[in-house]
Amino acid sequence: MKKTFARTLLSVSTSVMLMGATAITHADTIQIAIAGPVTGPVAQYGDMQVIGAKMAVEQINKAGGVNGDTLEAVIMDDACDPKQAVAVANKVVNEGISFVVGHLCSSSTQPASDVYEDEGILMITPASTSPAITERGYKMIFRTIGLDSDQGPTAAKYIASKVKPKKVAVLHDKQQYGEGIASSVKKTLEENGINVVMFEGITAGDKDFSAIIAKMKQAGVDFVYYGGYHPELGLILRQSRQKGFNAQFMGPEGVGNKDLSAIAGEASEGLLVTLPPAFDLRPENKSLVEAFKAKGEDPSGAFVMTSYAAVKVMADAIKATGTTDTEKLQQYIHTHSFNTPMGDISFKENGDLKGFEFDIYTWHADGSKTPVQK
Amino acid sequence: MLAFDPFYFAQQLLNGLTIGSTYALIAIGYTMVYGIIGMINFAHGEIYMIGMYSAFVAITGMAAFGIEFLPVIFVGALLFAMLISSTVGWAVERVAYRPLRGGNRLIPLISAIGMSIFLQNYVRLFQGSSDVAIPHLLSGGYTFGAADGFQTTLSYMQILIFVTTIVSMGALTLFIAKSRMGRACRAVAEDLKMANLLGIDTNRVISFTFVIGAALAAVAGVLLGMYYGVTNPYIGFIAGLKAFTAAVLGGIGSLPGAMLGGIILGITEAMTSAYFATEYKDVVAFGLLVLILLFRPTGILGKPEVEKI
Repeated sequence: MKKTFARTLLSVSTSVMLMGATAITHADTIQIAIAGPVTGPVAQYGDMQVIGAKMAVEQINKAGGVNGDTLEAVIMDDACDPKQAVAVANKVVNEGISFVVGHLCSSSTQPASDVYEDEGILMITPASTSPAITERGYKMIFRTIGLDSDQGPTAAKYIASKVKPKKVAVLHDKQQYGEGIASSVKKTLEENGINVVMFEGITAGDKDFSAIIAKMKQAGVDFVYYGGYHPELGLILRQSRQKGFNAQFMGPEGVGNKDLSAIAGEASEGLLVTLPPAFDLRPENKSLVEAFKAKGEDPSGAFVMTSYAAVKVMADAIKATGTTDTEKLQQYIHTHSFNTPMGDISFKENGDLKGFEFDIYTWHADGSKTPVQK
Repeated sequence: MLAFDPFYFAQQLLNGLTIGSTYALIAIGYTMVYGIIGMINFAHGEIYMIGMYSAFVAITGMAAFGIEFLPVIFVGALLFAMLISSTVGWAVERVAYRPLRGGNRLIPLISAIGMSIFLQNYVRLFQGSSDVAIPHLLSGGYTFGAADGFQTTLSYMQILIFVTTIVSMGALTLFIAKSRMGRACRAVAEDLKMANLLGIDTNRVISFTFVIGAALAAVAGVLLGMYYGVTNPYIGFIAGLKAFTAAVLGGIGSLPGAMLGGIILGITEAMTSAYFATEYKDVVAFGLLVLILLFRPTGILGKPEVEKI
C-alpha cells in the first residue's frame, strides 16, 4: 500500500515536472521543425525549404512574434531517405516539438506523416506532391503545394494541345514521386490521343543512360517526358546531345533546379518544366524578394515561397486561436483562409490546397526560366 | 515489334562494351585483393569515386592554368587521380586491414565497410553533396549507317575508353606474368604462409595489391568522369556493387575473369535495356549472376578453391 502510494506520488511529481518543463519551453518560444534533405543528392531543394521557412520565422519574430512568443526554426536532416525521415519524426516527438514544415521528398513525407498524425503534430509539407500523402484521411497533415495528379495533367494537356508530338517516351526513376507523375502524364496523353510508344523506369543513381537513349532514337521518339529529379535528367540530356538524339524533353518541378544546367550544360536549353507559379514575381512580394536578396539568398526556388507560406499558416492559426493545441489548430486551418506570399490560400478536407495550379516554363542553359503560354 | 536492325544492335553492343570495360577496370581491384588475401575490399567503390573527384580537380586546375591540349589534360588527370587513389588504397590497407590481419575474417570486412562510409562522408563534407560537373573535353565521333535509318555512333570518348582499358589490362597482365613483383604476387596468392617462409615480404605484396587495384579504379574514374562529366560522393556504391558482381561473375581471384565478367555484365545490361525494358536491366543482370553461380559456383573462369589451412 505504502509502496503504491509512493509510486503514485513519484509519477505525479514526475508528470508535474514534465508539464512544468513543457510549459516553460512553450512560454517564450514555439519550435518549428524544418525537416528535409540538408545533405544528400537533392539537398538543393532542402536549401530552398530552409531559406523560405527561416525567412518567415525571422519576419514573424521581427513583427512581434506570435502573441508575444517567438518562433524558433529547428532544422532536421532526413537526406530524402524514408528511414531517416522516420528517425527525424521520432526525434521531433522526443523533443516535444508540435509543428513541422516538411518533409520534402514524398517518399520521406509518407512514412513520417504517420508518426505526426499519431502524435498530434501539425505538419505542412511545402514540397511533397505525391497524391498518396493526403489520401489517408489524416487531419494533421497539410501541404502548400499542388499534386502530381494535377501536375501530370497540366503537362500532358500542354503536350497534347501545343507540342503535338508523334511519338512520346515517358521515363521515370521508379520512385514514388517520379513514377506517380509519369503514370499520370502517360494516362492523360493517351486520353488525348497522343501515341506513347515507351514507358520505362531507369534507376536513380545510375550514370549511364546510353542504352535507353539509343532505344528512344531507334523508336523515332520526338518527345520525352521524364518523371524524377535533376541528377538523372541532367545526364540523360547531356548524353542525348552527345548521341545525336534531339527530341524535346519535359520534366516536373523536381528537375527545375540550377544544378540541372550545371550537369547538362547547353543540353538543358529549351527543356520544358512544370513548376509552381513563380511567386517571387508577384508584385505583392516585392519587399519580401528584396529581403531574400539582401541576405544573398535566391527567392526563385520552387519551394521557397511554399515553405514561407507553411510557416505563415501555422503562425497565423496560432495567433488567431491563441493556443498551441494542434487539435484546435487543425480545425482552424481547415476552415479558414490565409494570406501568404502565395496569395490567399485555403485547404480542402484532406489537407490539400484549394485551386493550386502549376505553370509551364522553358528552361535555359544558364539556369533561368521563362514562362510559356498554356 | 521492330525488325532486327544491325546498326541498332551494334550501337547497343558498343554501349555495353563501354560500360563493361569500366566495370572490368574496377573489378580488378576486388579480384586482386581477394586473390591474395581472400577478402573483399568494400571500400573499393569509394576509391573509384575519389579517383573521379581527383580527375575533376586536376582537370579544372589545368583549365585554370590555361592548359587546353587534350593529351596533356588526360595524362595529367590520370597521373593525379592514380596518385591520390593509390595513396588512399594504401591507407585503407594500412588502417583497415593490416592491424586486423590474422584475426577473424569477418572483422576486416566490417572495418572495410566502415572505411567506405568514412570515405564517402569525408568527400561529401569537403566537396559538398551536390553533383559536380565538368564540361565536355572530347566530343564528336564516327557515325555509321544510312542517313534515313538508325545511325550508330562511336564517339572518340568511347574509343579512348576501350583503348585505355585494353592498355591498362595488358600492362597489368604482363606485369603480373613477367616482373619480380608480379611473381611475388602470384606466390602470395598461391600460399601466403609459404611465400612468407621463402622470404617474400608479404606485407609489401599486399600493400602493392591494394595500390594497383586503386590505381586501376582511378583510371576508370578518370575515363568515366570525362565520359559522363558529372560526379557526386555517392557514385562509388553502385559502381562498386556492379564491379564486385562482375568480379564474382567472371570468377573472383582471376584477372581475365574480372575482365570477362565486366564485359558480360555491361553487354547484358545494354541488351536488356535495348530489347526488353530498362527497369529489368538489374533483374536480368543479377539473375544471370545467380544462374552462372548455380552451375559454376566459382564463376566463369574461377578455379575451385582449395581450403587453405
